[in-house]
Amino acid sequence: MIGLRAMSALSKRELIRQMRQPSRIIASIATPLLIWLFIVGGFSKAVGDVAGGQSNLTAYTIPGMASLTVMFASIFASISLIQDRQDGVLRAALVSPAPGWSIALSKIGAGSLIALIQAMVVLLTLPLLGHELTLVGALGAIAALACISIALIGLGLALAWIVDSTQGFHGVMNAVLMPMWLVSGAVFPVEDAAGWLRVITLVNPLTWAHAAMRDALGMSDQMSPAIAWSVSIGFALFGILLGAWTISRSRQTS
Amino acid sequence: MSAIEVRDLRVVYRRKGEPDRVALDGFSLSADREMLAMLGPNGSGKSTLMGVISQTIRPESGALISPTSRAGLSVVFQTPALDVLLTVRENLQLAGAMHGLDRATTKGRIDSVVAELGIADRIGEQVRHLSGGLARRADLARALIPHPSVLLLDEPTTGLDIDARRSFWDSMLRVRQSLGMTVLLATHLIDEAERADRVVMMREGHSVCIDTPKALRSTLGERVLRIVAQEESDIDRLASWLQTEGFQAHRIDRLLIVPHARADLLEGCPIPSASLTLAPPTLEDVYSIRTQTGVNP
Repeated sequence: MIGLRAMSALSKRELIRQMRQPSRIIASIATPLLIWLFIVGGFSKAVGDVAGGQSNLTAYTIPGMASLTVMFASIFASISLIQDRQDGVLRAALVSPAPGWSIALSKIGAGSLIALIQAMVVLLTLPLLGHELTLVGALGAIAALACISIALIGLGLALAWIVDSTQGFHGVMNAVLMPMWLVSGAVFPVEDAAGWLRVITLVNPLTWAHAAMRDALGMSDQMSPAIAWSVSIGFALFGILLGAWTISRSRQTS
Repeated sequence: MSAIEVRDLRVVYRRKGEPDRVALDGFSLSADREMLAMLGPNGSGKSTLMGVISQTIRPESGALISPTSRAGLSVVFQTPALDVLLTVRENLQLAGAMHGLDRATTKGRIDSVVAELGIADRIGEQVRHLSGGLARRADLARALIPHPSVLLLDEPTTGLDIDARRSFWDSMLRVRQSLGMTVLLATHLIDEAERADRVVMMREGHSVCIDTPKALRSTLGERVLRIVAQEESDIDRLASWLQTEGFQAHRIDRLLIVPHARADLLEGCPIPSASLTLAPPTLEDVYSIRTQTGVNP
């Protein structure tokens, strides 16, 4: 009971904080949209149709931009743990009877909700680009984005617990997540990639989350939807378990 | 069983590439329904002891006998553990939830604690808009929401001006009486330690003495002589003179503290330029002798 109460209160706190820092929302959405603008502006005519002619690059890259939005929001959510732990409210939470998992799940839950709201703004551009966005498609895309968000915040929390400085955290996250995102089919179809790159993309869980999202949005490529959804859900579960385990285990250190 | 009891604690910080640092070494302590102040230089183990009691630091050996859970425990840190983007009320609601209190209980406690601490009229403001003193009182309110039986205060008035400190302590002592808590205070400020029922002085992870402030002062006799030498070379001459007079002097830099002093010592000082003061002993005298020289006067 205390865990659920603490989780609910900490989640509410994250949402209030977000509403009182609109600059964070703008930063999370604006950067992916600018990247998208430059990519499609530079390559769309040269590339033409993608995904077996079912889509053009302009619309095809939108799911990737939505996932990039989620990624930025997830980094913000994770990085707040470092500040909270050093000089914020988390110090009091860590000496309270609330279980460690409630801290992790509140960060993951509230952080994901915030990330998904921001990603929705990006997805809503699809109809403007001539791609039909059904309710079922949107819900499926949100589910896939939720998998990405949950997994990345969980991983981020584990990393934020180990790394003491926000600078160090940024460095590691940029070194790991940006390459992961670039080789995940976010900006080019995996099946069109060179052989060695295709191997790397196939072991990247983000690739499968993008495939699941495109499956929901009717931009199917050659990747199996069943595998895509299984890997995405597994990735999210891994993130939850890793985040909760790290905070619960590391609460008492010497 | 006492509200706080630790026995033979040993905590060693081990970091790669750095020598091991012993923070607590065979440290034992108990306190019950009293305010116990810890005085000691930086690195003497005060914060480490608080970490062990709040169960965020695991000792290498020894035992934390009580408190056995975090349920009846609250901590006030060196800087407020409040979310500056939240209002005071939202922070206090969060504190209630972290201790498993339902909404109605939390609301009742918030109403009474903010009235007690004199911040009821600021409860709707975001913490970032409060002054340092008000934020400290709001942080104290946060720590009091669960009605703790043990309250740990880790240098709670760091950075506050005199008025804000006084206000904090007025509130703190009033609430402590009404809740009957055991309070463990880590501080560098002698006047704060004077407010405690007992004082423990710490040095290099050990307890060097523990008693009431009055009893600790009385270990130095009725009066002490404080001699400040102008020149380094005068120190040895002064020390030998005091020795021939039958007094033991404790040296702290260019200050000599002479316990159990007599008024006639003022007349016979061989160094005219030295500044001599005969006065009743203070807790600071005890602190200087016990934690800096390590000597039992």
